[in-house]
Amino acid sequence: MNEQNLINLDEFNLSNDELFAHVDNNSLDSEKITAPRYSYWQSVFRVFFRKKINIIILSLLAVIIVFTYVYPMIIGYNPDVDPFINIMDGYSNHLTPAMEIAKHGFSLKWILGAGGNGESTFDAIWYGSSISISLALICAGINMTIGIIVGSIWGFSRKFDMFMTEVYNIVANVPYILLISVLVLIMSASFWTMVFAMTVTGWLGIAYFIRTQVIIIRDREYNLASRCLGTPIFRVAIKNILPFMTSVIVTLAATEIPSYISYEVFLSYIGMGLSDMSLGKLIEVAQPAMKTVGWGFEFWSPVAIASIITVVLYVVGQNLGDASDPRTHM
Amino acid sequence: MTKYLVNRILRGLFSIILVVAIVMILVYSCLDRELVFASDPSFTHMRNNAKEAYKYQRWERYGYLDYVTYGDYLQQLVKDGTLSQEMYESVAAIGDTPEQDTPEAAEYIAKFIEEYTAKGYEDVRLSAKYKPKTVRYHEGGEPRLFVYKDIPLINRLWTYLTGIFKVDNIHYVEEDIEDRGISFTFYDPVYGGEKFSPAIMGNGTQHKYLLYFDDTFPYIHQNLLTISLGTSYTVNTGVDVFQTMTQTQGAFKNSLVTYPAVDANGNHIQEESADNLHSAIYIAGSFGSGNPVVDQRYVDDYTNVQVYKSGLSKMGYSFVIGIISVAVAYFLGVPLGMLMARKKDKLVDKLGTLYIVFIIAVPSLAYIFMFKALGDRLNAAAGTSILPTTFDMTNPTWMMYVLPIISLALPSIANLMKWLRRYMIDQMNSDYVKFARSGGLSEGEIFRKHVLKNAIIPIVHGIPGSVLGSLVGAIITERVYVVPGAGNLLTEAINKYDNGVIVGVTLFYATLSVVSIILGDILMSLVDPRISFTTKRR
Repeated sequence: MNEQNLINLDEFNLSNDELFAHVDNNSLDSEKITAPRYSYWQSVFRVFFRKKINIIILSLLAVIIVFTYVYPMIIGYNPDVDPFINIMDGYSNHLTPAMEIAKHGFSLKWILGAGGNGESTFDAIWYGSSISISLALICAGINMTIGIIVGSIWGFSRKFDMFMTEVYNIVANVPYILLISVLVLIMSASFWTMVFAMTVTGWLGIAYFIRTQVIIIRDREYNLASRCLGTPIFRVAIKNILPFMTSVIVTLAATEIPSYISYEVFLSYIGMGLSDMSLGKLIEVAQPAMKTVGWGFEFWSPVAIASIITVVLYVVGQNLGDASDPRTHM
Repeated sequence: MTKYLVNRILRGLFSIILVVAIVMILVYSCLDRELVFASDPSFTHMRNNAKEAYKYQRWERYGYLDYVTYGDYLQQLVKDGTLSQEMYESVAAIGDTPEQDTPEAAEYIAKFIEEYTAKGYEDVRLSAKYKPKTVRYHEGGEPRLFVYKDIPLINRLWTYLTGIFKVDNIHYVEEDIEDRGISFTFYDPVYGGEKFSPAIMGNGTQHKYLLYFDDTFPYIHQNLLTISLGTSYTVNTGVDVFQTMTQTQGAFKNSLVTYPAVDANGNHIQEESADNLHSAIYIAGSFGSGNPVVDQRYVDDYTNVQVYKSGLSKMGYSFVIGIISVAVAYFLGVPLGMLMARKKDKLVDKLGTLYIVFIIAVPSLAYIFMFKALGDRLNAAAGTSILPTTFDMTNPTWMMYVLPIISLALPSIANLMKWLRRYMIDQMNSDYVKFARSGGLSEGEIFRKHVLKNAIIPIVHGIPGSVLGSLVGAIITERVYVVPGAGNLLTEAINKYDNGVIVGVTLFYATLSVVSIILGDILMSLVDPRISFTTKRR
């Protein structure tokens, strides 16, 4: 033992009684478990930011959101009143970035060239993405909320399960394209019609997925024990099952949100999409330009931006899903 | 097992019928029926009363309503014998306005309206429209009188469902013909009557040949049972949906055809033609109607024949592309998924995950176009079209299938890799693997003999679905590479408001999906003996 570490008790100026007081065994204190403080969401973000790639992807997402929602607002973009639209002037339409910059001088606006009417492809893309991303977020929000609520009941109640399984078998076989096109024809090809068309049966798939997950967890031993101890079903659902499902739900959101953007692009391509200039509509309009040499930028830039947006959203969601699994919090 | 299967099939049939009912409500009740004229050129040329009458005629053809004109009613009376021909001529003309009807006509008009309104029909009387200040009719301004009744959903559904399967019989032909009956021959007359080729032929039936042999797969063919999924009006006018999907396309394929008729020397007429005599259908009064093409070649009213074409059918092209891409997907996806699970968190796994993320996140449109652009580049560099990016039915090459197959296989490979990796990694953590490892089995042995066998079961479930799914075709791939496949049938029908095709195609899709789930369950229970669909007796 090291001599210097020894403490001279006389330095405290205390009596022997005070120095060696008897401490009672406190039954209340012994119940306390000493463990590092654990907060679920703090741990989620700690795990999430531990990976450097996530910080890069997240900043990319921030850039995309700024360009999608803030940039069109700053420049006051309106697709109908663009000062550069000129259908008649053949010299201002379908220009490559180099030609466009030579014509108007360098600005962010022209780095992707001009479209068929002389409008800036760059501005049009970001305006289009604001529509597409909003559509995806709203549809995913509605579908996931309804899907999770219905799916949990579906998983718990056996009677409801019989009924919903038949409903699912029937509705899943009605072609989605038909449903969307009929709704678009009845109402109009507006933004909210599209939201309605995508959510009217879209939640069923999510509910079915959640139902399967609930059934897997429902009959685990710890839930059985919980129910034997008299915990109400609702409390079992909220306290025992929902935390288990958080990572599944986040992962599901990660695949759902990009899939709506892809689906919007697909619908526009087959001519059943929105009437607004969304990303899909831009791609559809620019499709004939793909075949002409020198006009490729019009077509490929919205395709590339759509791909970047979907990949970023997907990767962020997947990694957040991984981080929200408590088993990774060690 | 049998009881369970019968139950499953019945429930499947029930859901198919409900799907058809829902789709009928969607297209017939929810959509504005004026929309069917949106792309009808003859509609825009019609004027006045003729336009109005044309609308009802079309709606009857599209299946919205039952439409009877006054003229039809009178002709029916003549046929029944309650109205003489002279009387018919005197009452057939209706007045320009109801007041101008002749007394005899007014009597029959009143009877016509009374009879049909009692059955729930609505009557429509359109008075004549004159040109200004004259007594001449406007174009299409003749007076009209007709009744119509909307067909209720339940009737439409019933007629549709009962009309799907048609068994040909010798009482099909309504006219008086001689020798109604079925005959059997060893020497099919289509081959000149000398070659040995058995055939069953009918007289009085719809098809002339009920069962016959020829040199195309599957060599034995029948016309006894025909499937009709609904007639098309705009996509492929007048042709049934099922036939639209299955009939061959492309250029005429000529061969030496022996027609039934004989020339002055007593020999059968032979000619280079694409006619497929085996497909002959009865058309009343077509023989001897003065059409020399028909009269010189045929001996009876079985004159409506289809033609041989060099290409495959819509479904054929979709199936060839689909089935090869499914095979490629399983051939590559399963080993790659296994490799990823085996080398978890190594470079292979990371590359594979990158690929999966790319395919899932990027819109499929983007990478299909990317492959097309790559193909175009390659062709431009090589100077010839070594990797055709558009389909050409007239001079087919195997290379033109390559790009569509790649485009279809890529997402399936990613999907297979993703799930197989997931299932295998889940199995790796289970107790029996730890036990096998502690028992001294090598990692390779555990992988092949235990983990794979358990992980492959959910994958097997999807095989019938992907095989049958390739009959349906792919929308974007077929559009981008101009494949004449079945994938675009539904979107085309929706764009052209072809109700018959929409309902028929939906029924086809729903049937395939129900059948593939049942087949998948059966296959799964064959692969894994632990899975049983019958309740166990203890």
